[in-house]
Amino acid sequence: MSAIVAYELTQRFGSDVALDAVDLALEQGEHLAVLGDNGAGKTTLLRILATAARPTSGRLEIFGLDAMRERKALRAQIGFVAHAPGLYPALSATENLEFFCTLHDIDRKRVPEVLAQVGLTNVAHRLADRLSRGEQQRLAIGRAVLHGPRLLVLDEPDASLDSGGPDLLASVMRGKSAVLATHDHALANRLCQRTVVLRNGRSLGAGTRLRVVR
Amino acid sequence: MTRSIAIAYAVARKDLTSEWRTRELVPALGQFVVLALVIANFGFQIDSQNAAVIAPGVLWLALVFAGLVAFGRAFAAEREQASLEAMLLTPAPAAAIFAGKAIAAALLLVACEAVLLPALALMFGTPFNPALVAAVLIATVGMAALGCLFAAIVARVRSREVLLPLLTLPLWIPFIVAGGQAVQVAMGASGSYNQAMALLVDFDILFVVLTSLAARFVLDD
Repeated sequence: MSAIVAYELTQRFGSDVALDAVDLALEQGEHLAVLGDNGAGKTTLLRILATAARPTSGRLEIFGLDAMRERKALRAQIGFVAHAPGLYPALSATENLEFFCTLHDIDRKRVPEVLAQVGLTNVAHRLADRLSRGEQQRLAIGRAVLHGPRLLVLDEPDASLDSGGPDLLASVMRGKSAVLATHDHALANRLCQRTVVLRNGRSLGAGTRLRVVR
Repeated sequence: MTRSIAIAYAVARKDLTSEWRTRELVPALGQFVVLALVIANFGFQIDSQNAAVIAPGVLWLALVFAGLVAFGRAFAAEREQASLEAMLLTPAPAAAIFAGKAIAAALLLVACEAVLLPALALMFGTPFNPALVAAVLIATVGMAALGCLFAAIVARVRSREVLLPLLTLPLWIPFIVAGGQAVQVAMGASGSYNQAMALLVDFDILFVVLTSLAARFVLDD
């Protein structure tokens, strides 16, 4: 069973076509990079894959389930890092994660483990709005992996991360299927086995990292 | 069911903790209702004869506008900090999330009422009694359910500040009519307090059930 099978995903906003009949396949455990200029459709594609948006047309299966009909069931298996960290500024890093433990119905004992994984143990009790932008991004990544998802959908997760960012991403992606949108070709090559390039909402095709480098 | 209650409690607790730490809303609402009473006090020729007639109207006007601000912020803040999506991308039931948001917003309005009711009694010389408090609290339940539902609907549009009153106020009219009658009786006017309260409870049940059912469609786009 594939992790993702997407067929002719199309997203229109009025007369604008943000995503134009994009096909995509991702095997379990595979990492796919999505590259493209600003406005190419990367975020739109990732929001659909994370079940945060419904495509105008097309078909999407995630772990064999219809992503349009089984959204609630799939959300327990997907971790999404969006453009904005989306944290609660008046709650501490620990409180932010504990809140999401309740929503995911998982034990709060997982929180210290995740904070250690994303390197935030030292600032565990600091309010989210007192964290640096990079620390906020680490916390958002921690929230995405909190419930042990099988699929990670990461929209430019390297934004604001320091030099330890690639290692962090490699560690959270290990053993999971992942789709990673980035502008950093070197990061895509390091973390992903395959790459798809988008331009003006259309897929220019997927290839191995070697082909993209050339 | 237990899980839904735990989620609603966690959402309400999160909102109330955030408000306690930032103190963004309640102090401003408290000041607003006191200012509204001061203006009404100067604007109307209040005397012992007409206070019981004018005070309920002033109370509901202050409460309605404070409620619009409180319920509007409930979802607007989530949208602004992009946290609503993260919450909705969990398997948590939308109705439980909605209930938690509505409970927190209602409690913030109750905090505002704790300033409004004694201030009203002080400035207008009207009675401050359990019957008055009960009428306002019972009305707050249904108003919170409706206000939060429309706040969730308009949170994603740019002109939400204009749309929220336009959508909410017409559906709040039953609470203002029944609540106004209950408050008038509690302040000494003639009429049936029990009948007005029974009507308020009926409206509460109706709108709490309806909004809980609608929450799923509003929150999960």
